[in-house]
Amino acid sequence: MSIDLSIVEQSIGPLLKGLKVTAQVCVLGIPLGIAIGTLAAYLYGSAARLARSAALGYVEIVRNVPFLILVYLSFFGLPKLGIMMPAFGIGVAATAFYTGGYFCEILRGAFGSLPRGQLQAARSLGLSEWHVQRYVVLPQIFGYLAPATTSLTIMMFKDSSIFSVMSLAELTYQSNLLTADTFAYVEVLGTTALIYWVCSVLLDLAGQWSERYATRYRRA
Amino acid sequence: MLSFVSAQIAALGPFFHDVLGGALITIAASAVAFAIGIVFGSILLVARLLGGRVLAWLVVGYVSVIRGTPALIQMLVAYYVLPAVLNLPLSPLEAGILALAMNTGAYVSEILRGAFNSLSGGQLPAARALGMRATQAWRYIVFPQLFYRSIPPLTNEFTMLLKASSLMSIIAVHDLATVARDATLQTNLPLQVFSATAVVYFAILFVASSASRELERRVAKVLPNVH
Repeated sequence: MSIDLSIVEQSIGPLLKGLKVTAQVCVLGIPLGIAIGTLAAYLYGSAARLARSAALGYVEIVRNVPFLILVYLSFFGLPKLGIMMPAFGIGVAATAFYTGGYFCEILRGAFGSLPRGQLQAARSLGLSEWHVQRYVVLPQIFGYLAPATTSLTIMMFKDSSIFSVMSLAELTYQSNLLTADTFAYVEVLGTTALIYWVCSVLLDLAGQWSERYATRYRRA
Repeated sequence: MLSFVSAQIAALGPFFHDVLGGALITIAASAVAFAIGIVFGSILLVARLLGGRVLAWLVVGYVSVIRGTPALIQMLVAYYVLPAVLNLPLSPLEAGILALAMNTGAYVSEILRGAFNSLSGGQLPAARALGMRATQAWRYIVFPQLFYRSIPPLTNEFTMLLKASSLMSIIAVHDLATVARDATLQTNLPLQVFSATAVVYFAILFVASSASRELERRVAKVLPNVH
């Protein structure tokens, strides 16, 4: 079995174009999802039962329904509801929806890792709710959040490959076009996998750096 | 409202048998892949810990590549590339199970490695000092504790595997996701079909995670002092 390097060379251009779309979806969708997840975690912590069950239901749906099914449902289902959205928008929305559910779980775990007494102590010292969150809670849970959020980001980055089923011109879709064109599965899939892998490793390194930064007070 | 819902369900009635078949393939393929993945992951762990430097680096590289690439790409590689490389024809289902097993094996080896690092030290030398052979020490001392401690993360991994199994539909395995896509093409009722499919997946995954919580409880009863 031989590898045709000229095919690899020709593939890199279109694949990197696809990577750009993948990156755009992630850069928009993941932070949006983090915002949604934070909101869901607050709803979960609220006293209102309806808000609690809504947040719980949301998290359970994300945890128990495959991303692929969610993407199919949005892509084929939304037009039936009269909602017309380009594949790119659906990709961003689906990424945000899924990220949000997992991030809500991560936040709940992080809050759970804080000793209860600290919140009470901070409040009885007269700190405002914002100051409690900003100066007592956040610095401490950041070290917990950093690694979990890194793996969530990598997971969503990889899951964005599923958007190829709705012909969004991201990395995997470009790869599919190239294999359909050349039948050079080894070269094209190998290059595609290499691009995904390098990006995942870089994201992982960035995550490790942010974790070290977030926990620098422990070494002081 | 109720009549609306029942009308929708009636529209999906003809697909009931397909859904059952698809769900069965989803569950069976995931179970088989998980079983292979557990064995494979254990082998990877032992190779990494005992296999010498070269083997350890190979395992580290393998785990990194599997964890760094999408399961969808792994599925395509298993279906389009592996048969050519191994010179072994694979049916879509075989390729799908192989991809899932290779994927889950890497994650399982990392889960077990985490558990291994949390073991209190000196147990292996102690077992050897009591006259056990290395294989006995691993079989009776190390692995039972690894698996016991790993029940929650392994369960989580199994639910991730069940979800990833939907990607087998990309290589034309007749699993639940494929049944849903076909039913959508035939009925043009995507909302109903994919909602119903989501419910079926939800039920399967819910049962799987409930069963594992039960397993955890029972194991805790039998082995109360393992921690």
